[in-house]
Amino acid sequence: MSRRSFILRAAALFLLVLFIAAPQLFAFAFKPLTINDAPAIYNQGSLLALTLSHLRIVFLATLASTVLAVGLGIFVTRPSGSEFLPLSRSLVNIGQTFPPIAVLAIAVPLVGFGEKPTFIALFLYGLLPIFENTLTGLMEVSPQTLEAAKGMGMNPRQRLLQVELPLAFPVILAGIRLSVIISLGTATIGSTVAAKGLGEVIIAGLQSNNVAFVLQGGLVVALLAVLIHDGLGLAERMAARRLGRPLDEIS
Amino acid sequence: MIEIERLTKRYGATTVVDDVSLRVEDGAIAVVVGTSGAGKSTLLRMINRLVEPSAGRVLIDGEDTMAIPEDQLRHRIGYVIQGYGLFPHRTVAENIATVPRLLGWDKRRIAARVEELLDLFQLDPAEFAGKFPHELSGGQQQRVGVARALAAKPALLLMDEPFGALDPVIRSKAQVDLLAIQRRLGTTIVLVTHDMNEAFQLGDKIAVMDQARLLQYDTPAQLLTHPAEAFVEQLVGTAERPFRLLSLLHVQAALEAGDAEGEPIRITDSLRDALSRLIWVGREALPVVDASGALVGRVSVQGILAHGRSAA
Repeated sequence: MSRRSFILRAAALFLLVLFIAAPQLFAFAFKPLTINDAPAIYNQGSLLALTLSHLRIVFLATLASTVLAVGLGIFVTRPSGSEFLPLSRSLVNIGQTFPPIAVLAIAVPLVGFGEKPTFIALFLYGLLPIFENTLTGLMEVSPQTLEAAKGMGMNPRQRLLQVELPLAFPVILAGIRLSVIISLGTATIGSTVAAKGLGEVIIAGLQSNNVAFVLQGGLVVALLAVLIHDGLGLAERMAARRLGRPLDEIS
Repeated sequence: MIEIERLTKRYGATTVVDDVSLRVEDGAIAVVVGTSGAGKSTLLRMINRLVEPSAGRVLIDGEDTMAIPEDQLRHRIGYVIQGYGLFPHRTVAENIATVPRLLGWDKRRIAARVEELLDLFQLDPAEFAGKFPHELSGGQQQRVGVARALAAKPALLLMDEPFGALDPVIRSKAQVDLLAIQRRLGTTIVLVTHDMNEAFQLGDKIAVMDQARLLQYDTPAQLLTHPAEAFVEQLVGTAERPFRLLSLLHVQAALEAGDAEGEPIRITDSLRDALSRLIWVGREALPVVDASGALVGRVSVQGILAHGRSAA
């Protein structure tokens, strides 16, 4: 990362934190966007609390997706699970084809309003990138390396934990990053079924025809996405550099 | 001692290794040569049970390998493959420590062993221990690969085309180094190659395989003078034969009494090297000195040539 882009990101982080903590400081900037003397800054709840619960549900859903997708990816790349590879691929793909909004519509009658249906939608939507990247990462491990590991007397468990997973790690991390970014945006629609999150700000703006609110909600989500994307990307590059791979190989 | 008894591997209707028996004495190097697809690698991989035999058995010091759990068996047998398969996410030191760690050695013992091996393979521990495989040259990777295989002091080392990825200059140096280390440690080695020169340079005994069968298992000299089949003769190379034979013998064998003019030849040199010196300097004979530099006699073109003739 160049010095200039680092400064840019540090500035973005600073602005984001400042805005979430003390939004009134920015009232002057949003005022021109309002009409009929409407409030310039979201005033129906704390932005900080909304951001935190937004991040929380994204984190929990991604964590659950990661556990299932990585577990499934490991299972279908073992000799005993290889016959389930096509099946699990189609299942995970179906998870991705269902629009989250449709999942919400189905889930609400089953589990009620609130965070649960949002969690289900994000969880299903986040599976595919992690699963596919886990598969790619594990299948990319060189046969020579595996042959050597086996020839030195590593059992299947040792080969998985000491060789395959560490080598697949950067690729899996790239899948998780993709999934997090998708979930950060998608989580805003959770507010339509009463999940607490930054979607509330956007919806409040839409309902009262207040562009300032819409912009605030959107901006916070976008900045979060950019910063988290960069942070995870940095972690990937560090992991990949250790393996001596060119940096552009995973992206 | 490794005893391979009537070892056979079939995949469906195809037989990849057909009823092979051979024995490798302790501390010896047995080289398995043959064209690609002859079954050499499969034979090697049946010794550490990476391939399960269809029939026959392998005994290590009299113990049937099928009686040993396969992971434990492999901990006891060093294994080097073409391309080495070094772990890209582990440092040189961690790579070498692989088997000792699997065996649960304590940290101090592992560290001492790693340092010892790096020294043995002429890799400065301070410089190389912390490097990753992708930071090494081909020759260095090869040495780390062999060091890793020797880490837990195995009595047997299996090598599958261990020099295949090296360029010719580094390859011959690596072969000389391996030979020196093997003589020092007394490790028994079974090595697979398709390179006849490599076989003659390294092998105490050479096994020639073709189309799944073992055609001949003999000393290099026997292979040259008494090839069992036309294929062996062809593989050995009829044009190369006298020179190969000479390269197996030392000046000692053709030593004559007397003296000669010119720069002396060492008694430990091969007859092939001696002959090429004689041709190059254009003399009929040269003096011979022993390791201390004392004159012990002379060696002549005629004397050398006598050793390169067919026994018949």
